[in-house]
Amino acid sequence: MHTLKGTKYAIFFGLLPALIIYLGIAVVPIGMSAYYSFMNWDGIHPMTFTGFDNFTEIFKDSIFWLSVKNNMIILLTGVLGQIPLGLLLALLLNRSMKGAGFFRTIGFLPVVISSVMVSLIFGTVYNTEYGLLNSILGSVGLDSWQQNWLGDTKWSMFSISVAYIWQNCGFFMVIFLAALQNIPNEVNEAAELDGASGLNKVMRITIPMIRGTILIAVVFSISNSFRVFDLIQIMTGGGPAHATEVMTVYMYNNAFVNMRFGYGSAVSVLILIFSLIVVTIVNRLGKEKA
Amino acid sequence: MKTTKNMKKTLLIGSVALLTLVTAACGNSNNANKGSADGEKVTLNMMHPWTSPNVDNEVYKARIAAFEKLHPEITIKQDGVAAAQYKTKLRTLAAANNLSDINVVWPGADLEPLVAGNLLMPIDSEMANWSSILSTEALAGFNQGGKQYAIPTKQTFVDIIYYNKEMFAKVGYDTFPETYDQFIDAIKKLKDSGITPISLGNKEQWPLQSSYLSAIQERFVGSDFLAKVMNKEAKFTDPEYVKALGVIEELSKLKAFNTDANNMDSVQGQDYFIQGKAAMHISSSTVDSRIRITNEEGNKFGIALFPSVTGGLGDAKKSSGVAQYGIAISSDLDEKQKAAALEFMKFFVNEDLYKELISKGVVVPAKVDVPADASEYLKEMIALTSNGTSPVFDSIIPTQVTSVMQNGLQAITVGRMTPEQLAKDVQAALDGMK
Repeated sequence: MHTLKGTKYAIFFGLLPALIIYLGIAVVPIGMSAYYSFMNWDGIHPMTFTGFDNFTEIFKDSIFWLSVKNNMIILLTGVLGQIPLGLLLALLLNRSMKGAGFFRTIGFLPVVISSVMVSLIFGTVYNTEYGLLNSILGSVGLDSWQQNWLGDTKWSMFSISVAYIWQNCGFFMVIFLAALQNIPNEVNEAAELDGASGLNKVMRITIPMIRGTILIAVVFSISNSFRVFDLIQIMTGGGPAHATEVMTVYMYNNAFVNMRFGYGSAVSVLILIFSLIVVTIVNRLGKEKA
Repeated sequence: MKTTKNMKKTLLIGSVALLTLVTAACGNSNNANKGSADGEKVTLNMMHPWTSPNVDNEVYKARIAAFEKLHPEITIKQDGVAAAQYKTKLRTLAAANNLSDINVVWPGADLEPLVAGNLLMPIDSEMANWSSILSTEALAGFNQGGKQYAIPTKQTFVDIIYYNKEMFAKVGYDTFPETYDQFIDAIKKLKDSGITPISLGNKEQWPLQSSYLSAIQERFVGSDFLAKVMNKEAKFTDPEYVKALGVIEELSKLKAFNTDANNMDSVQGQDYFIQGKAAMHISSSTVDSRIRITNEEGNKFGIALFPSVTGGLGDAKKSSGVAQYGIAISSDLDEKQKAAALEFMKFFVNEDLYKELISKGVVVPAKVDVPADASEYLKEMIALTSNGTSPVFDSIIPTQVTSVMQNGLQAITVGRMTPEQLAKDVQAALDGMK
């Protein structure tokens, strides 16, 4: 008992620095944003309290709802694109084959590269004049498929989604690889003895065994999708004409470009609320099935 | 066994990293303290947007270096921020009351909040240094409430049309079209002969507003329209103004711009034109140095202003211009820093700077004689722009309204908005400003 008492203090003091930093850079700013969201403030002139004016203006702004829609597209590409693709890559690489380590590294590489680089790389790939994609399409005679990938509002969100999948599916691959390696060998062997193989084994044995991990990956993917900013800001800046604007870009433009910090804070409060709602729903759905 | 070893390793690496971080942080603060506390040495921070390959940027940086050589006791710590992000960073730092000691500021609507927040130091007592070479006109943009806050380095005309003479000759125009109808006719003919008529790099959104709209609105509604709008004597929704916005729609419908106009930045847009991939490029007088003065094949290109329009209320000879790169000093300096900053300003913005800029082909706001050996291109530019100056859109209209306009112009180019709708939105944004 005596020793435990001592460690409690030790644990507390050990946690203290991290706790202070976390409070300082996460919790306090969220509180401040909530406070600013009821103000009209350009950062220079004195603040004035305006109640819910910022929120009513946001809800009336069609550009905000467009950015919400784009966020939903990003969310769906995350959940329906990155996770299945990450799982597929993990299944492919989770075997003893030549160069598995090499391919794992390659798969994980996009996660390590900064978003700025990813945006610039894809900006070049999508370039209409000399971009890789249009050149390839042209050289195999598919000229009619060539598009203005980022500049045409029909294609811009799609093009960004592809870059977003490419950037993050390696992250989920690594998570799934770790989970796959934790499946006990006895289970796999028993399944094989019973005649399960290939797709059958994956669907009935592997996926149920890593269900928990998949759920966590989905939550990760959703919270990531609400945070996506740099990729879009650099590739298109939310343009053309707001077509690729997500909520974070909308917030940035209002707060930092238009100098409406109160309004921007209100948007960020809404981002927080939206992501909490979606994550809670997913958690509920995950639990019910279990 | 293995895990403990790994743990130890991680711990070791972790603590080393932490230690470096802490010592690095301490080291920084020590240095910073020394800068202002030590009797002799003064360090001044300067934020500027001189990162692009324009010639005048090189001139400015060389002058900073020359100043440091002349005054070894003063260090100018530069923070170069890309022009497209510069204004955003300046405003954010202003909001945080954290401006650099010396700043580059824009006139008019952009300067207003900085003055309102008492963030800049008035320099009226020092004006004797500049009043003889700078006209009140050139200084007006940086004067608010009767006080002078900054001194401009150059005069930028934002609406210069650079055109490829060979391409225009090919479609039957030996001189640049005088009227809007001829201009449209030339665009159609260029298009038919397989040439992209205008290269545009509008990813940063300001070119259509600054370089295009400023010129077009002058032709349709005249120089005092924006001021009238601010005084609520006119509206963006006035039919004449909607017609001006309609020009962008007409050009987009004719597919006058390169297809990736909204994904290219302004410098890429210039390159596109210089490489001979388009017949026209509309940009500021500053890029003349890239397009013609330092370009061996510069004589291929001519300069012109936007043509006259039938029934227009403005002046087709006027160019939209603004005195730019105001050098301003933060109000939050101690005596020693203040003295050093003024010393810097007196050295940085003086007759020599203007002469140097002229010799590189840059138009300046100062009454400095153009040397006889100045570039022919510069003389042509001065002649073209000396018939009156009209205002640039964003030097009069507040930032948040400008941003609605810029997004809307981009929307027009992709067919997502009509000029009528845009005029309504911009007017609503102006009316809704708190």
